[in-house]
Amino acid sequence: MSLLAGAAPAAPPRPGRAVRRLTAGSQDRTWVSALAFLLVAEVVYFSVTVSGFWGGGTGMLSLSEQFLDIGLIALGETLVILAGEIDLSAGAMSSLVGIVMAELWQQGLNIWVATALALLVGALGGALNGLLVTRFGIDSLLVTLATQFILSSVATALGGGSPPYGFPKSFVNLAGTGTIGPVPYQLIAFAVIATVTGLGVSRTRYGRGLVLTGYNRAAARYSGTNVRRTLLWSFIASGFLAGLSGVMVSGFYNAARDDIGDSLLLPAITVVVLGGVDIFGGRGRVLGVVVATFVLGLLTQGLLVAGDSSLTATMVTGIVLVMCLVLKIMLNRRSGASLRQLLARRFGPMTRPPPTRLGGETTS
Amino acid sequence: MSALPAPLDASPPALVGARARFASNALRHREVQLLLAILLVGGVSTALHPNFGSASNISFMLADSVTTMVLAVSQTVVILGRGIDLSVAPVLGIAAIGVGFPAQDHHLNILLALLFVLLIGAALGVGNGFLVAVVGIPPIITTLATLTIYGGLQFIFTSGQEVISIPTSYGNLGSADVVPGVPWLLVIGAAVVAGAYFMLTRTVPGRSIYAIGNNSDAAFRAGLPVRRVIFATYVISGTLAGLAGLIYLCHTGSADATSGTDSNLNLTSIAAALIGGTTLRGGRGNPVGGALGAVFLSVALTAMVFARIPPIWEPAGVGVLILLAVIAGGEGTHVRKMLQSAGGARR
Amino acid sequence: MSPGPRTDRRQPAGPHYEGRSISKAFDGAPVLSGITVSFAPGEIHSVLGENGAGKSTLLKILAGVYQPDSGELILGGQRLPALSPRSAQARGIYLVPQEPALMGSLSVTENLFVGILKRGRLRFNVDWAGMHREASSYLNRVGLHIDPEARAEDLSIAQQQLVECARALVHRCTVIFFDEPTSPLTANEAATLFEVMAKLRRDGYSQGFISHRLDEVLTVSDRVSVLRDGDKVLSAHVSEVDRSALVKAMVGRDVASRRRVRPPVDATGREEVLHVEDLSSAPAFEGVTFGVRAGEVVGLAGLVGSGRTEIAETIFGLRAADRGTVHVRGELLAHRTPRSCIDAGLVYLPEDRARHGIFAEVEVQRNVTAGVVPRLERFGPLLKTSAERRMAGEATARTAVRMTSLDTLVKALSGGNQQRAMLARWLLAEPRVAIFDEPTRGVDVAAKDDIYRIVAHLADEGLGCVLISSELSELAIVCDRALAIYEGRVVGELSGAELTDDRLGAMVVGGHAS
Repeated sequence: MSLLAGAAPAAPPRPGRAVRRLTAGSQDRTWVSALAFLLVAEVVYFSVTVSGFWGGGTGMLSLSEQFLDIGLIALGETLVILAGEIDLSAGAMSSLVGIVMAELWQQGLNIWVATALALLVGALGGALNGLLVTRFGIDSLLVTLATQFILSSVATALGGGSPPYGFPKSFVNLAGTGTIGPVPYQLIAFAVIATVTGLGVSRTRYGRGLVLTGYNRAAARYSGTNVRRTLLWSFIASGFLAGLSGVMVSGFYNAARDDIGDSLLLPAITVVVLGGVDIFGGRGRVLGVVVATFVLGLLTQGLLVAGDSSLTATMVTGIVLVMCLVLKIMLNRRSGASLRQLLARRFGPMTRPPPTRLGGETTS
Repeated sequence: MSALPAPLDASPPALVGARARFASNALRHREVQLLLAILLVGGVSTALHPNFGSASNISFMLADSVTTMVLAVSQTVVILGRGIDLSVAPVLGIAAIGVGFPAQDHHLNILLALLFVLLIGAALGVGNGFLVAVVGIPPIITTLATLTIYGGLQFIFTSGQEVISIPTSYGNLGSADVVPGVPWLLVIGAAVVAGAYFMLTRTVPGRSIYAIGNNSDAAFRAGLPVRRVIFATYVISGTLAGLAGLIYLCHTGSADATSGTDSNLNLTSIAAALIGGTTLRGGRGNPVGGALGAVFLSVALTAMVFARIPPIWEPAGVGVLILLAVIAGGEGTHVRKMLQSAGGARR
Repeated sequence: MSPGPRTDRRQPAGPHYEGRSISKAFDGAPVLSGITVSFAPGEIHSVLGENGAGKSTLLKILAGVYQPDSGELILGGQRLPALSPRSAQARGIYLVPQEPALMGSLSVTENLFVGILKRGRLRFNVDWAGMHREASSYLNRVGLHIDPEARAEDLSIAQQQLVECARALVHRCTVIFFDEPTSPLTANEAATLFEVMAKLRRDGYSQGFISHRLDEVLTVSDRVSVLRDGDKVLSAHVSEVDRSALVKAMVGRDVASRRRVRPPVDATGREEVLHVEDLSSAPAFEGVTFGVRAGEVVGLAGLVGSGRTEIAETIFGLRAADRGTVHVRGELLAHRTPRSCIDAGLVYLPEDRARHGIFAEVEVQRNVTAGVVPRLERFGPLLKTSAERRMAGEATARTAVRMTSLDTLVKALSGGNQQRAMLARWLLAEPRVAIFDEPTRGVDVAAKDDIYRIVAHLADEGLGCVLISSELSELAIVCDRALAIYEGRVVGELSGAELTDDRLGAMVVGGHAS
């Protein structure tokens, strides 16, 4: 078709006065670099101050097994948040899949078959979330708040008083504690999955639809994206990856537990936000989430190795999150205003409303 | 059904029509639906297990619901302004240990304790309000972060200790009845709800919360101090969560490093508010609904216990109730469309 | 006149309000440079200009929504300090926004009084009964007879617009600005608004008015000012100017706005690229049948609410049809989705560009290729970004999108350039038939002209075009045929010399064309 040829109208060229050099991509890249810098600073600090942290580099690598489960959930959550939704059920899903895997194994199934079936349960659970969101049009915050309760009940009921433990060695090795040289299998698996997710978001048709859906759902639909299917698959991926993290944790501890996932959800969402993903959808890079996983994970582990309690370590992650966001907002502010002026303007009567959305679909 | 007046036989037809209309209008209110649901669940359970309707059980269920009730009011206030507060649980916890230790060790006067919990709650609420309204971090992220920060503070403040005994003045408040079946705690809870209802529906600041929740840009143009009001909702939420801490302390007689956060109070309080008809879109709902939602949750979960359903299914029950409430409230857009399909043109 | 609380102010209501040497820049880009403009009591002063000329910004500064970088605001001879919307209202200055921004779940009364709720005897409580009574009298003044306790979300857009107007009166404002109030309104509804404005003029209010519809401006206003690129290029009494003078001032050159863009084409015998048969989607429309041949521009004329957008959305698979069929190039499209329509060669340019068209926060490149994501070149599963960039570059060049690069965010483009980017998106899909829904809405006069020309050019190249518009003169100069839609039905068809805006106008309001 040569429909296009010469369709340019005879308008006189005008300089693009209103055109400004604004690109989201460059801001995102700056954010990722800042995180990487933070990561290096952190590693140096802990290596100097905490004995046993560096361990010739290998100590640090094995520490990663303690937080890659969070990273996996965060990758799934990234897909859901990029689409403009949220998945609060990922933690409970992680527990449930670990329990299902262990119970199936205890019933006599081969451990790998049990794992595959359990991961299928994770994907199906994600599909349930996705269907409730897309078919009934209920806010995902509500849907996954509800399914979180339901899934954790099911996990507890299935697991009973003493969930199974003592899995076959090959499973514990591969899914849990094994290494190639100094590099844990878990780290390799995470690297592969993170790469696939990252390329999937930035370089595939599905990822393009996902990101456009997150930016403007209606416009995505009007330009031919199947929004419902896109959302559905993001929830399925989140359920699957949460399930995978459950399998990994079970392998690492060589035991299933019905509450392992409870403590993973909040750090995972923290990682996603810290990684620069916009909670309202569309904007963000998987690479940022990966770096943020290590920033937060090594920070927590460093504090724990140094002898702090886990609640203190969690608190520090919360503080880091707030400080990073405050920093980001300060950097985005118009130049020239001092911090005090900025706060005065923000708090004066003549101020624009603050963001009030919770993270649902976004318009305009 | 006993809550509605039965039409008199002798009424003229017009009056019967008006009453039927009144009844059907009333049924559209979430508060009335919940009241009927509470009576229904209570009635059926009592029919099956006579003990369910005993004064002591009713008193237990009501007293048990008061902590959630007060927290549901906090959530309602914040959600009306299109926010959310995930940090009410650790605020409750910090308040509970903050007065729990002085009460246990030095017999702190209960009125002073009341003052302290309100101040603690307000101070922590100021933290949330600052981050949301002044700095501009989205509410769900802010309160997620303060949930972990306040949780850590709670742990640090306890330094490994826990409150195991409280003075009798506290204990009496937590367990005594005004009349059989009506615990003192319920009176406090009802007072909070009534106060919040009056504040939200009949005062100028209260109405600004609704206006901002409905349309913050329009509210800004109308000259409302948007950020200040949003700020205030978090301070109110924190203050009430502090009060809930005292109620928790009196009711359970204990407090430790994980009080509040260990029992899903964050999510049940949001659940109660949503079941009570408050919508996440903001500007719609009221604290009476949230309070009834808390009572309904307590009654329904106790009924599950009476029906010999293992307690591990309690969370699932809450989850199903959230979904049902949301679908019944028409918050699901597709459901709303289905219900409206008989209606007129949309544009 | 209503007795009510306003009688005291009835006589010489408005003071003189003036903005002197107002300048404003956003992120370094100047929007207004030293504009002086004044609003006198008993006068309607219209501000005209292309999109991006700074009209809205000017009114927003005058109403305290934005702060000017320099310049002063003078009300009744007194220099005002920095304004906020609240302090502007307190001084009697009110801005009726483009889209009414009411609080949906609240009552009309509360919407009227928000910000100045009346207090009851307890001083901190709210006096609802008193406010409902007062609200009724204000609503009557703007010709609205509705229950003040009704929820705002249950009102029509036009009623909401009038509620905004009543709100200005409630706030005792005597300087009232209207920012394109008529764009969401039908002609009848706009007429009602103009009556209210005329009444306010008689009562001595100072009014400022923005509209894109020149005919409206010429009927309604007393004075006209034209902004171009942030400068005031014309200010005159309405009797001293005519349509062409205004257009010339706005675009800085002559635009033949009333001449046909291309001669009418008789497409009989050419391939029928789109055939719609007995399409229905109750309650929006019923039994719509029409066809479009290659190289033909078919207009769908209808008022807002007549069902024309719904027809387009149903054809494009965005809404479910009750019955009826759609054929593209003779091929039946069953179970239509936007994707299957695009793949069959049918594209739809939506009416509401901001909501349904552009991805404002995304750069031009991904905006332009958004409609053809499945067709992008790939290496295995991975998209080839360089090929995508080339495609986007060619398409934007053909529709002459003005931008610094393909990485510019679409929100940084002017309305007309955003629309050109949308056209580029659909050209990439290589369509055989295109539905343009109000393609010139929110677009300035010069860009309008360009868009007509692009449509005409595409038709010459063989594209079947459906043009939906409520601007009948626009249809008359672009289309070869036009169908009139009234209350969801096709009530008539005009072509050739019969196709004039007068005849269409008679049909779209339910009358007959002869």
